Formats: sequence, structure tokens, C-alpha cells
Amino acid sequence: MSAPGKQTKIRQILFVVILGIVATTAGIWSANIILDRQVNLKELQATRFPVARELAPFTLVDHNNEVFNETTLRQRWSFLFFGYTHCPDVCPTTLSVLNSVAQRLQDVDADIRFVFISVDPERDTPEKLARFVSYFNKNFIGVTGTEQQIEQFTRELGIMHMRVAAEENATAYLVDHTASVLLIDPDGRYHAVFSPPLSAGKISDDFRKILKAYR
Amino acid sequence: MKTRPVSLGAVLLAVFCLYNIAHATETLDITHPWVREAPPSARVLAAYMSIKNTGESSITITGMSSTEFESAELHRTVIHDGVASMQHIKHLEVPANGSIKLEPGGLHLMLFNPHHALSAGDSVTLTIHLGNNTCMTVAAPVVRQTLDDHSQHHH
Repeated sequence: MSAPGKQTKIRQILFVVILGIVATTAGIWSANIILDRQVNLKELQATRFPVARELAPFTLVDHNNEVFNETTLRQRWSFLFFGYTHCPDVCPTTLSVLNSVAQRLQDVDADIRFVFISVDPERDTPEKLARFVSYFNKNFIGVTGTEQQIEQFTRELGIMHMRVAAEENATAYLVDHTASVLLIDPDGRYHAVFSPPLSAGKISDDFRKILKAYR
Repeated sequence: MKTRPVSLGAVLLAVFCLYNIAHATETLDITHPWVREAPPSARVLAAYMSIKNTGESSITITGMSSTEFESAELHRTVIHDGVASMQHIKHLEVPANGSIKLEPGGLHLMLFNPHHALSAGDSVTLTIHLGNNTCMTVAAPVVRQTLDDHSQHHH
């Protein structure tokens, strides 16, 4: 029975050849992706942590008086900026930059949120935050809490904030604060940080690279 | 026509200023003064401008005020080790034949407690007080800042 034997042999050879082609293609394809990721991340201006940091549970409240906690940070990317509504220079400028980032990233296929967290919970009520953040972008989220809740959250993220007495009158105090923008990934982990001077172009470009490396 | 409440002191200062300007021997050129539009409920706004000293001797700015605000203070934003803070500037010296710029991220005039909400298109009167006991006034338009990286587009 030589005919079937020969056919089987041809099939076997063909099978091995096809397997070989598939394996090689897969190998080249994977190598490209790995190399691509590595090259991309080297060009980052942002600081991307080798291992994203888990965050301890926390409780804050957003400008709609709804709970804002570690669960809120999951399943979406979040850009966090810490400031206060009585801040005339840095905070409006940064929120404008973040609005520009939001415009630039509109085409991205991912859920992205921009969150402004108050380091002045005494004056920044949810209502005040709602009026403040909506001016810069209707989708921006304002967050506040009790002094203790804000303190716990900022401490964990390494965010500095300090009240400075104003000479004019006691109620017009200023607050020194970290001016960086933090990036939280869809796992709710602290993923990267953008340090000042902040540029909408650089932040957007970096985010695209970080997103690509995350997938 | 609705009359807007203004602080009497600021008005008197402005009038005093106009009187003095006739006697000033040195002047500063103030160009592109602008107040950045803020959320309607904002209690603190910022004003910026370019200041040029065309004279032969240094001029000191001892403060600024505005008829539309309760008070004003000159500050400089400083970012050190990633932390932003504001230095209260009590005297600002503009060197002879030199210039200084008040712009976002640097020197700015903090304007406290507006008498009424301000929006793009409104005008704010700013009084610049000088060390030789003279002063000058400029009209600063309220402008909504459209930001593209670090460039500002305003008129």
C-alpha cells in the first residue's frame, strides 16, 4: 500500500513546514512587540514606575457628593492633580493644560478621567469644586474630604501640602502643594508621574506610550 | 445702568494716581496687561503684564491695587522639588532700560475678592504704585486663557 504511505509522508512534511513558518512568524512578531515597547518607554519624559504601586483603601467625596475611593480608580485611567480653588496661578494653568491633554487624547480607546483633589478641604466644599473644575472641562472631577481623609490619601501618594498664612487676613491663606500630575492605571495602581514644567503635548505623547506598554 | 460697588479707597487712589502722573518724571511702559478669567465663583484671580523701564534709573514697584477687588498682592510662583509655593513680593525693581514680565508660572498679581463676578470681555482697572510716590493706572481686559503647552494666546 504505497500510495497512502506517500501521501501521509507528504502531509507530515507539509505539517512540519507550516508549523515552522507559523512558529517563526510568531517569534518575529513577539520580538517586535517587545522591542517596540522597550524603545517607546525609553523616550518617556514621565517617570513610570517599574512596578505600579498598590494604594491602600481610602474614602473621599467628589463634587457631586458621591463616594470617591479606590474602587472609583479602577477600570479607568485617572490623571490626578492636587490643588485648591483659591490658587490663582499654578492650579488654573495646570487645569488648562489637563484640558488640553483631554482634547488631545479624545481619539484614544480607553476610559480616561481627570481628577482635581483639594489640599484645602476647609474651604473647598464639593459645591465649590463643582463650580471650579467644570469651568475648565465639564467632565473634570473635583474631590475633597475631611482633613484626615485628605491627609491619609496625600501621604500615601507622597503629595506635599502646607498652609501658609496670608498677610492680608487670616482667611486668605495660601497652600503650598506638589505640582506634579499623577497617573493611576485601570488596576487602581499608581503608575506614573508627570513632573513640572507640565506640557500638554508631552503628557499626551507619554500617555500613549504608557498605554501601549500596558496592554 | 447698574452701578457697581467699588472700594472707595481704591477709587481715591486711582484719582490720586491720575493727579500724580502729570508730575511724574519717570514712567514705566505697561503693555499687554490682562486678567485671566476664572470660574465665576473664584475669590482669587491673577493679572499679568509686561513692564518696561525706558528711563535711566531703576524704578521700584511697591504694590498694585484694583478698583474691582478688595485687595491685591504681588507674588512669584516658585516650583522647587516639584512643590509649588508663592513668594509675596513687596518690592519689585525694574532696572534702568530693563523689563519684567508678569506671566503664568512666574510673577503675577494676586487679586483677592472681586466685587462682582468677572468674565471675558470685562475690563479691570489696575493701579501700579511706584517707589517715588507716583502711580499709574492701566485697563486690563479679562481674557479666557486658551493654552497650548506653554504658549498663551491673548490680545
